[in-house]
Amino acid sequence: MSEYLLQMTGIDKRFGGVHALDHVNFAVRPGKVMCLAGENGCGKSTLVKIISGAYTRDEGEVLFEGKPIQHITPAESSALGIQVIYQDLSIFPNLTVMENLAINSEITAKRKIVNRKRWEQTAKEALSKIGYDIDLYARMGDLSVADKQLVAICRALLFNAKLIIMDEPTTALTKKEVDALFKTVRQLRDSGIAIMFISHKTEEIFEISDDVCIMRNGKNVYSGPTAELTRKDFTYYMTGRELEDDYFVPTNISKEPVLKVDHLTWNGKFHDVSFDLRKGEILGITGLLGSGRTELALALFGLGKVHSGTITLNGQQVKITSPIDAQKKRIGYVPEDRLTEGLCLRQPIADNIMLASLKQLTRALGTLNHDELFEKSNEWVKKFSIATDDAHKHASTLSGGNQQKIVLSKWLNNDLDVLILNGPTVGVESWAR
Amino acid sequence: MNKAKLKRMTRRTEFYMSLVLLLLCALVQIKSGGRLITFPGIFTRMNVTVLRTMVVDGMFAMCCLVVMISGGFDLSFPAIAALSYSLSTTICLNNGWCATNPLAGFLLAAAIGWVLGMLNGWIISNFKLNTMIVTLGTQTLFTGISLGMLGMKEITSTLPEGFKTFGKAFLLEGTDPSTGIRYTLTAMILFLIALCALVSFMLNKTMFGRALYAIGGNEVSAERAGYNVKRTKFLLYSAVGAVAGFIGMIRVCMESQSIPKAMTGREMTIIPAVILGGASIFGGEGTVFGTMVAVGIISLVANSMLILGIDPYWQQFFNGLIILVGITVSALQAKRQKQ
Repeated sequence: MSEYLLQMTGIDKRFGGVHALDHVNFAVRPGKVMCLAGENGCGKSTLVKIISGAYTRDEGEVLFEGKPIQHITPAESSALGIQVIYQDLSIFPNLTVMENLAINSEITAKRKIVNRKRWEQTAKEALSKIGYDIDLYARMGDLSVADKQLVAICRALLFNAKLIIMDEPTTALTKKEVDALFKTVRQLRDSGIAIMFISHKTEEIFEISDDVCIMRNGKNVYSGPTAELTRKDFTYYMTGRELEDDYFVPTNISKEPVLKVDHLTWNGKFHDVSFDLRKGEILGITGLLGSGRTELALALFGLGKVHSGTITLNGQQVKITSPIDAQKKRIGYVPEDRLTEGLCLRQPIADNIMLASLKQLTRALGTLNHDELFEKSNEWVKKFSIATDDAHKHASTLSGGNQQKIVLSKWLNNDLDVLILNGPTVGVESWAR
Repeated sequence: MNKAKLKRMTRRTEFYMSLVLLLLCALVQIKSGGRLITFPGIFTRMNVTVLRTMVVDGMFAMCCLVVMISGGFDLSFPAIAALSYSLSTTICLNNGWCATNPLAGFLLAAAIGWVLGMLNGWIISNFKLNTMIVTLGTQTLFTGISLGMLGMKEITSTLPEGFKTFGKAFLLEGTDPSTGIRYTLTAMILFLIALCALVSFMLNKTMFGRALYAIGGNEVSAERAGYNVKRTKFLLYSAVGAVAGFIGMIRVCMESQSIPKAMTGREMTIIPAVILGGASIFGGEGTVFGTMVAVGIISLVANSMLILGIDPYWQQFFNGLIILVGITVSALQAKRQKQ
């Protein structure tokens, strides 16, 4: 048997004209935690889907436990001992914990009739694998994200998993929950299971992983033990730039603050927040999930409530009552979940870019000037090098990173005073120009 | 019963609907001077009428429920029923069948409904289209086939005798003490009870039933878990078609007439009743018990307007009100569970 549990060489995959994976080499050692790192849209999910059998590769070799694997279906990969815990956890919120745990193995066993006793036994067995205790009859949808995740892990363990793939498992967790999850991950690792951990968060990767594989633009740029990598190298491999180059040197900072927030409070969400933001300055607002950082951003964009405190914009005290009002006051907001909150995916790219500035494009009688819309949006496509050959195509045809660029250009096309970015990497930044 | 179990029970729509039904029964009982239920005989002219109304509505509601649990909507079942029974009775009439035994008519109607349901199932599972749009289309299509292509006529007095006598079968009879009018409890109620038992068993005790809940809860997860979602949906819609055809024949027997247009718009009272009974419009939720309680409430209201001193013209108003309340509660609950 080889030293690797899973070994992939020269994996290549294209979607139409997009080269999603460019001869990627990748290997997982048994009983180790391997991190697959990379920025959004670098091909991480495609690679996972090839391992799980959801996609087929165009080229390349896959060895699992030393045996070559041709094209497999998701069911076959599960039978081999490969379990994927997707970001959405693949749970049924309307069913009980017991059913969520037992349903997969019942289907695999091709059962026709439900036997509650057997289900309960299966569920208990699953929970005992990591010594986790929870009410079997609780509704799955009522659990916290961390609990849901543990249930999903227990379910994966029922299949004698040899390799568990976790797709961005920490996204919706608080720091404490992440610690608890890592404890479980280590426990699994020590029992001989290989864990493939997908993440883009530097701190987590250094904390948990034994090996790391970094991908950028469909290629793997580094793979090897985490211990041999410095944080600086890591950032370089992730972004393709030296960190120093990335420092933003503020220029033309005005003396007077463009946005001044005093003792702002939204009862139960955040309390007594004050800051000044000057023109040309980037202000970082950070905090853990649930600390109120998103709510603060929402309040500034007119989507939240302000119980006390004041917002001063260009020297004038204002109340921001709605997003329309915020736009009138030249404030823009890029939400955390860009895909669902920031884009109309089934609309053309051009329309998405110009969505916040349609007023500039209307003729008399309020009809839209489509030629100008297309022309202007093309400028942004060039400026941001958005990877598309035609701005008439739907926004959904783009990769995540490019979609992000659309959301940004949407706001930059307006003459803004303040642009709030929710979680471009970590935390919230406010950016004035 | 432990505390957690009690808490879970009180959070269910079914629990509140049962309370509403009990209160409503009490109100009607008092207002009518004890004519809803008598003791120790229990049955009265009034409650057998309510039960009679529940037969066809309740059975349709079962069809609607299973589809809604899977996260879909079926608007076409009344049209399927209408086309099935019209065609079936016409064929029986022309061939002189069912003069004594109605079985052939039932089998024929169920078979026709099955074929029509398969069309729904095929379109929905193969093209992954929105079920409401598909069944809206097939509903109109089936009505068009019935009235236009086949030119189905109303069959009233010439209806084969076998259907008429079967529809008049009763379990018990009695006379109303105040008016002296004879009443009977229709034997068709046995079909309703049987269907409820069957659906309840299917939903709770078979993997097919759990598949419906799983698909309604999260279709992608159901597929990943290994369910054949495509086949499940095909089987579901074709089975609903067959049952709808069968229910249509029951109605023909009970009414002693086959009227091609009689089912038009039925779905618009059945679907809200199912939602009122705790089924979620987003799928994954709903029980046989809750659905029957809701059908009971609507039948009781419809049959006791006069007794409660309300002009029957107000029936639509109350139906509308019940529907709005039911849907709002359902949506609010879904929202709360999401948070």
